[in-house]
Amino acid sequence: MLELQNVSRSFSEHQVLDDVSFTVPGGALTGFVGANGAGKTTTMRIIMGLLAANSGTVSLNGVELSSDTRPNFGYMPEERGLYPKQPVIDQLVYLGQLHGLARSTARSRAMDLLSRFGLESRSKAKLESLSLGNQQRVQVAASLLHEPDVLILDEPFSGLDPIAVDAMSSILRDYATRGVPVLFSSHQLDLLDVLVDHLVIIQKGRILASSSADDLRASQASRHRLSLGSDAGWLRNEPGVTVIDISGPEALVNFDSGTTAQRVLSQAMERGTVNEFSIYRPSLADIYREIIR
Amino acid sequence: MKTTTPAWLIVALREVETKLRDKAFIISTIGTLLVIIGSIVVSSILGSRTAEFAVAATDESSYEVLDQVQKDKPGDMRLSIAKATEPEARQQLADGELDAMLSSSNGSQEYSLTGYDGVDEQLSQLVADGVDTVLTDRVLSSAGLDATSLPAADALAVSQLQGDADRNSMVKAMGFLFSFLFYMAALLFGMPIANSVIEEKQNRVVEILASTIRLRQLLTGKIIGNVILAMIQLLVFLGVGLLAAYLSPLEIPFLGVVSQVAGWFVVFFFGGFLVLAGAWAALGSLATRTEDLQQSSGPVVTVLIAVLFIGLYAKDGFLVAASYVPIASSVAMPIRLLSGEVALWEPILSLAVLLATCWVVLLFAEKIYRRAVMHTGGSLTLRKALKLEV
Repeated sequence: MLELQNVSRSFSEHQVLDDVSFTVPGGALTGFVGANGAGKTTTMRIIMGLLAANSGTVSLNGVELSSDTRPNFGYMPEERGLYPKQPVIDQLVYLGQLHGLARSTARSRAMDLLSRFGLESRSKAKLESLSLGNQQRVQVAASLLHEPDVLILDEPFSGLDPIAVDAMSSILRDYATRGVPVLFSSHQLDLLDVLVDHLVIIQKGRILASSSADDLRASQASRHRLSLGSDAGWLRNEPGVTVIDISGPEALVNFDSGTTAQRVLSQAMERGTVNEFSIYRPSLADIYREIIR
Repeated sequence: MKTTTPAWLIVALREVETKLRDKAFIISTIGTLLVIIGSIVVSSILGSRTAEFAVAATDESSYEVLDQVQKDKPGDMRLSIAKATEPEARQQLADGELDAMLSSSNGSQEYSLTGYDGVDEQLSQLVADGVDTVLTDRVLSSAGLDATSLPAADALAVSQLQGDADRNSMVKAMGFLFSFLFYMAALLFGMPIANSVIEEKQNRVVEILASTIRLRQLLTGKIIGNVILAMIQLLVFLGVGLLAAYLSPLEIPFLGVVSQVAGWFVVFFFGGFLVLAGAWAALGSLATRTEDLQQSSGPVVTVLIAVLFIGLYAKDGFLVAASYVPIASSVAMPIRLLSGEVALWEPILSLAVLLATCWVVLLFAEKIYRRAVMHTGGSLTLRKALKLEV
């Protein structure tokens, strides 16, 4: 488990991270969301030891990490970067060696990963001759070469086509299943909805939420959607009902208990037609919008 | 499977490998080697070529002159003399068998030297001297004097207390060679250090590298890789040059001293290059794009040109001072060693100063590098870079 405790960082006068604390559990995919400039990349760089925190700690399985390198971490930076003029396989072997792998091991691991991405035939091509999507796959391969104990990926899905997104998702799942803590940032909320087990929401350098996706969904699970035959305005005056949104016969409401829900349902049926009465399951995108509001 | 190969070594090997695959590097190295070998071969061919002349005399007194010339000619010239009638001699001139013919007139008081389409200047000078000698001897003997009793023309011998002329010109030539080699290597191998730093910065590989290994290891590897390349190239140049000089038929003076000082030069070159390598790495991390380097490399290039001029023109006190100033000492101390009037402690002290400077520069370069290399927006000044937080 990777844990951040009270991490703060400012650049000159500008406070970028303010008392950031959250955990990235092992064996789960943790999504990291927030607007541009909210502090995601800075947080990830601090986790990777590339930037120093002004205060606070980063620890892995209870052991505090020094401001040193993290050779057993897999990292995909926001600004992608490898050597454009070097053949794909050569730079993967080089990076593998820097991670402490023997040359031959690095080569076989690199070839495995490339074939997994369907790139084995391009292994001797220069990186710059590959399409952007394929370059990104090589970038992912670079972060996985040394079978890292922790994966930190900044926007791994940006710029990928749907097929590559699927491949990427399955690789991330794979690592999470091995018990590796995986933290990745993304702006694709619909993707997060199906992928992540855990969500961290950051805004203006502060953590607004950090919990499992199920808990987040459950916290909003008392919502119901109603579709009636006539105007639903009368719901506003019902005790135990909080109206979130009403437009004509459609309404989105919160009931304070199951009893209230049943009472409102029977009352609605007395008043006329009930086309829909259902529990509303919010997507993580909805929850995110709700929380940052 | 994990290995324990240190990261700096992996980085250094990559630098070497990348460079050895670079066609421009290989071509320029081979080109320089050919120039070195070629210039030694050409100079030994020119040096060992002996002048050869055939001259015919058309009368007895002309033959007397040629006989005198035969006695006085320099050792590296071959002269064959013969008698012939004038028509024969003209024919042989036309056939190219003769270089000139000599005839006398006016009662052997005047001589004329005739060539086919011109007479070699060295030959005509020698014949003119011969004519003078013969005519003077004749006048003297008619006055009853013996020419050998007269004072010799070369009664005054010129010599110098400080070194000797040959040695001084050797020092000058080697000084030029050392300065030039240092200047060339500093640019040829220094610039790539800066470029390789910029490349990694520009492509953002540095973010992956920095999270994997310490930046000190990365910087050290880069510098060592390029130092290895520069040293190998220098040793090849010096080795091939000295070998060619040794094998050439021409006798090159001071080869022993030169070989010995070349050894010192290699050591000083190493130290001076390390200082420069640190400077290049720091410059590279300040720049954002390769184009920025054009401007920021100005000061380093100025220093290099100054060192080149010190190597070419510095003398006496200034040269002694320069031989203790880091970077300049890489060229100035070997030049002083060539003249052979330096105590052993002097190069050792100078080397100690140089290595201490190396250490300081490398630490400073690392400090700049650490701060600037993660910086992305625009190029930095030294002052701004030092203010950055890690």
